[in-house]
Amino acid sequence: MREPMISDVYQKFARGLVSARQLPGRFYRSVFRGSYPTTARQQLAAVVNNLILHVHPTRVYSRSIKAQTTLGLGLICLYLFIIEWITGIFLMFYYEPSTGAAYGRILDLNYTIMFGRVMRNLHRWAAEAMVVAVALHMCRVFYTGAYKPPREFNWVLGVALLVLTLALSFTGYLLPWDQLSFWAVTVGTNIVSYAPVLGPKLRFVLLGGDSVGSDALLRFYTLHVIAIPAVASLMINYHIWRVIKDGGLAHPFEKRAGEDEAAAQTARGDSVVPTFPQVVYAELLVFLVLMIGLMVASLLFNAPLEEEANPLRPNNPSKAPWYFLGLQELVGYSAFWGGVGVPTLLMLYLLALPYFDRIPRGVGVWFSRERLAMINFWTLILLGILVTTALGIYFRGPNWNFYWPWENWPGPH
Amino acid sequence: MEKWLGAFGLTLTLILGWTLWDASVQEWQRYQGAYYREALRRAQKGAQKAWASNLRTEIKQLQLNGNATVERCVTCHLGYDNPAFQGFVAPLRTHSSLLKNHPPERFGCVGCHGGEGRAVTTLEAHGEGEVAAKPLLRGKYMQAACYNCHGTKTLPPQATDSVVRGRELVNRYMCLACHKIDGEGGEEGPDLSTVGSQRSWTWIYAHTVRPQGVVAGSTMPVFSLKRDEIQDVTIFLMTLLDSRDRLRYLPLLARRVVRELPAEERLAAPKSADPEELKIASRIVFTYDGKKLFHGAGCNICHTIGISGGEVGPALTYIGRKRNSENLERLLKDPDEILPGGKMPQLYLNNLQVKALVRYLGERR
Repeated sequence: MREPMISDVYQKFARGLVSARQLPGRFYRSVFRGSYPTTARQQLAAVVNNLILHVHPTRVYSRSIKAQTTLGLGLICLYLFIIEWITGIFLMFYYEPSTGAAYGRILDLNYTIMFGRVMRNLHRWAAEAMVVAVALHMCRVFYTGAYKPPREFNWVLGVALLVLTLALSFTGYLLPWDQLSFWAVTVGTNIVSYAPVLGPKLRFVLLGGDSVGSDALLRFYTLHVIAIPAVASLMINYHIWRVIKDGGLAHPFEKRAGEDEAAAQTARGDSVVPTFPQVVYAELLVFLVLMIGLMVASLLFNAPLEEEANPLRPNNPSKAPWYFLGLQELVGYSAFWGGVGVPTLLMLYLLALPYFDRIPRGVGVWFSRERLAMINFWTLILLGILVTTALGIYFRGPNWNFYWPWENWPGPH
Repeated sequence: MEKWLGAFGLTLTLILGWTLWDASVQEWQRYQGAYYREALRRAQKGAQKAWASNLRTEIKQLQLNGNATVERCVTCHLGYDNPAFQGFVAPLRTHSSLLKNHPPERFGCVGCHGGEGRAVTTLEAHGEGEVAAKPLLRGKYMQAACYNCHGTKTLPPQATDSVVRGRELVNRYMCLACHKIDGEGGEEGPDLSTVGSQRSWTWIYAHTVRPQGVVAGSTMPVFSLKRDEIQDVTIFLMTLLDSRDRLRYLPLLARRVVRELPAEERLAAPKSADPEELKIASRIVFTYDGKKLFHGAGCNICHTIGISGGEVGPALTYIGRKRNSENLERLLKDPDEILPGGKMPQLYLNNLQVKALVRYLGERR
């Protein structure tokens, strides 16, 4: 009587053990349907059947995953946005958008909250990196002619996303409520007010008053944590979806003998690789490298923070956030041109670019010879922006006077 | 590709480990550990032992003004209200008897000492770090804080003598010919009505010695003041605060409070020159970074190292060739001894700060 009972228990136990060992496999299959894809057919299915992966085509040209094709810049922008989202939510648990408490909360994040310092630094450095990455992404798209038909509208979306990125960065700039942010936003919103007729009204609406105060902080906070991110998220989705619908990455067409490249309708006979695993791995690699860089930067360098905002004591010089310093530099010469003229012209140029550019050649090729004039013009503008911005960052001291970077500024510092 | 993914994945994991270490290992934990070990060692009765062994390693804070102000100085300065730690090693010792009339739960620490109450690292809390560097008031400079609430009438004269002398000097050298103070005075120089809120005492001292060394192109004349006179002027100027800093003192201006320090039987009083105490002291690892201190404590306002710094005092780029460490140490502790009649200020640094600075300066060769 006894022996069969023991063996029963043993058998049940053994069966349990076996099914426990199968559990990870079962769980994996319940998520991903089928085993790890090895055949070409399975690899196609892996992309189509996965929510995140299905924004990819199932196969891509092998040149698409070469580093020099896109430099991974669009992807980096997306990653940075996601990092901002996650670190931003962490910061929201602690931050309080009121003039009395905000600065103290930032100090607490820096000093006493577990991971607070790293998270704040990550949020800040990723934000600055995002401004740079979005600008570089735009330059890449321009220099490879990737905005040409049928991708004109996606370029327009991209321009809108550039504006949203700057708006996100600028609204976040005020939130620490220190001297740096207070006076930067004061200067930044002053630039807005130079617009004729509507300028001062616009500034009033933005700040909820005539000067930066508690209403401005609340407005910037709401814009920064929900309004702009919501719009940006939708537009990023649309932007990425359009990449596929517009035929994937810009790709040079095959030029047959005696035929104009523009007339070529078939793609060059490039080799094709499956999206899974090559593209997925390449994307993971970009993420890891980006994350390592950001983490090391966040551990080693603290995000700037000065004394608590003091409306009675202006910083001299008061500088806008660095990406607006080109405009502030121009405002130094002419309030109208710096505050309104140049930014409006730049925006119009960017929005109209894919529609007035009628040269169909040079798609998907860096610095195509046929587009020399366009490329020169763009580079000239870019240089202008870089020079004015560098002037504003490094060469301007008290009262916006010129100083070499190694010169001591007169006046208290 | 897989190899690279593995390598970078491993690197990122290690960095996350570093983050965890960075977030969980903190300077103040060492001071609390030393304090608790000492408290436990001194405990004799059962109740004392129970008290000492129930102490937790945690951030401690004083909350003032209806919790609007948070000061965490007592996270490290643990023995501040425990008379058993009189004369003990630096961050753990008992506060002077002034605490009797200024109960810390109402007055806090920053109101008198300055610094950043929310910080819990030595450099940042003492206003010598990256954020809003404004070094603590030390030594004689504390008079500025006493004067802010008490004026000169209710205190013994030696408690505010520097402020009084400083004010006389400001009158004698006719500073108001160029500067305005509270609406009175000339237009030539900047208004000094709130200079104590805007500048640190190290900056004001340096600027008084030789304005051009701090503010390039300044047209202010160099007054040949003695070391003590410069100090007195600085202390007087540190009493000129803006409305916000004055408001910070408002809750302190309430009626006079008399509070007995907790009559202490919790722990046995310390024996003098206790060898065990020295052991404890040596176990607390102080980590002053000489380079950071040089910039945070205000040395760089007067002295240049490399290409950055002020031009009030001599450049220190090669100071290690000129002075040995013993000489540097004596100079930092008492400038008057090495440089009689010089302008180098008494900075009231503690031994560990001096050692860190000497180490840093000794390497400038």
